[in-house]
Amino acid sequence: MSDTILQLKGVIKEFRKFRAVGGAEGLTFDVRRGGFLGLIGPNGAGKSTTFNLISGVLEPTMGTVTFDGTDLSSLSIAEIAGLGLGRTFQTPRAFDSLSVLDNVMVGLAHDEEGPLAALLGRWKGTERALTGKAEAALERVGLIARRHDSVSNLSGGELRMLEVARQLVREPRILLLDEPTAGVDPTLQGKLSQILSDLHAQGTTLIVVEHNLGFLMSLADSVVVLQNGGLLAQGAPDDIRRDPAVIAAYLGADHEA
Amino acid sequence: MIYSLILTTLMFGAMFSVLTVSLNLQYARGGMINFGTVAYFAAGAYAYAIVTQEPPSGLDQYALGLNAPWWIGFIAAGIAAMVFAVITGWPTLRLRGEYLALTTFAFAEVFHSILLNERRIGNGSVGMANVERPDPAVLGLDDTLAYTAAACVLMLLTAWVFHRLLASPYGRLVDATHNDEIAAESVGKNTARVRLQIFVISAIPIGFAGALYAMITTLVAPALFTAEVTFFVWIALALGGERTILGAILGTMALVFFQEAVRMIPFETVRSAQIAASVEEVITGILFIIVLRWQPWDRLARKATT
Repeated sequence: MSDTILQLKGVIKEFRKFRAVGGAEGLTFDVRRGGFLGLIGPNGAGKSTTFNLISGVLEPTMGTVTFDGTDLSSLSIAEIAGLGLGRTFQTPRAFDSLSVLDNVMVGLAHDEEGPLAALLGRWKGTERALTGKAEAALERVGLIARRHDSVSNLSGGELRMLEVARQLVREPRILLLDEPTAGVDPTLQGKLSQILSDLHAQGTTLIVVEHNLGFLMSLADSVVVLQNGGLLAQGAPDDIRRDPAVIAAYLGADHEA
Repeated sequence: MIYSLILTTLMFGAMFSVLTVSLNLQYARGGMINFGTVAYFAAGAYAYAIVTQEPPSGLDQYALGLNAPWWIGFIAAGIAAMVFAVITGWPTLRLRGEYLALTTFAFAEVFHSILLNERRIGNGSVGMANVERPDPAVLGLDDTLAYTAAACVLMLLTAWVFHRLLASPYGRLVDATHNDEIAAESVGKNTARVRLQIFVISAIPIGFAGALYAMITTLVAPALFTAEVTFFVWIALALGGERTILGAILGTMALVFFQEAVRMIPFETVRSAQIAASVEEVITGILFIIVLRWQPWDRLARKATT
């Protein structure tokens, strides 16, 4: 088993003539198996687009994304997810007509989820077992008391945690989180930080896009900095904090190093 | 007279309810706008007629008549609608909203045109008359009563099957697919498959209803299967306040009752009957606009919850 779980090689994404990701020679970086990678950079640097390229929501114009030896370019979002990749979205996505609990239940691989099982009524046993799993995930993100609520009653921060719960139950091998702390209150941020370090300890590979550097730098073991779609810097959190190019482009001169 | 009005309303109301209930599944739960409903209905009716009809003779222009018993024809009707749904759904379901509506509408028009011009299917514009049907007299039942009962059974069975289908993890998957396809895909769900399944599953009862319609009228002809049928069930669905099976059934019953009631009026002259027929269409249209503009059912529902 190679040490690299995810590899981007010369990845370029163009929308008409605008190059959103790729910079001059295409975006190239490796993600270490079991690593915790922080992905940072100014607004519009291409962080979320990079997530979309990895998860199959967008297809690269050029270059390849390889996940554990599999080239992802011809795979659908669902197929990539099936390989063990989980992700959340910059704007949280919820299933509006479902309850909080059902939103998480959708995340589970369900053997009795087809039309035939529904007609034969053969799903109740499996469903009961899976409900326990979903409730445990809701407990972890602090939403257990809201499980029968409609998702339209959740706040923006709670929706983010709901998305995390939906991915937690899937036990992905690699989890991509897009600004998980945005709009999330300090208590929940504490819970989130705990969840992420637990996942990290269990060997899950994590990639996190985040502007909350205090949160990110305490968790990440390496950082990739993007600017204008290209790679600006890459290294350990402490080196990135001191990198003059990163300070000029993103952190700002008065950043406490 | 009242008795026969209620009976015809129930018969045609229940039969068309099968269409609205299926459309409700496709649209309200699956998020797919199908403006080609009549094609699946026609596919069922023609399949039934072809399978049960005697082999062609004399002036007949149709090529195939299998002379099989009615129940084989009935099963064939469901299969025909299902196959037609796979053929039309497979290439079109990646389209969204109004694009899917346009494509399904076009499919139905093409199908109608083929039925009209390819005489070897069902005698072209003349259609196939004297379609075979089981004789309820064997059971000592009146014709209308028996077919009303059959329509009601088909309607209730469809409603029950769809209810059972949706009150399950599968129903949750269907809702998730409808709500946010990308989010459903990113937890590994094959949403294209779910959409096609719903499209095909909901076409099957429409095919059965087509067979029942052929039995009731004992005639299949292109003139019976125009886009008007599609619009009729869409209006019925809107009238009933979409999203619930009961609403779909009540809307259809109300619309059929209204049309049958106008037909019952004993007119003195042909002219007044013609006027009544036009007025009926105008009123249906106005009702449709009122429901869309002021959404009375939604308001009632909101009042009930607050």
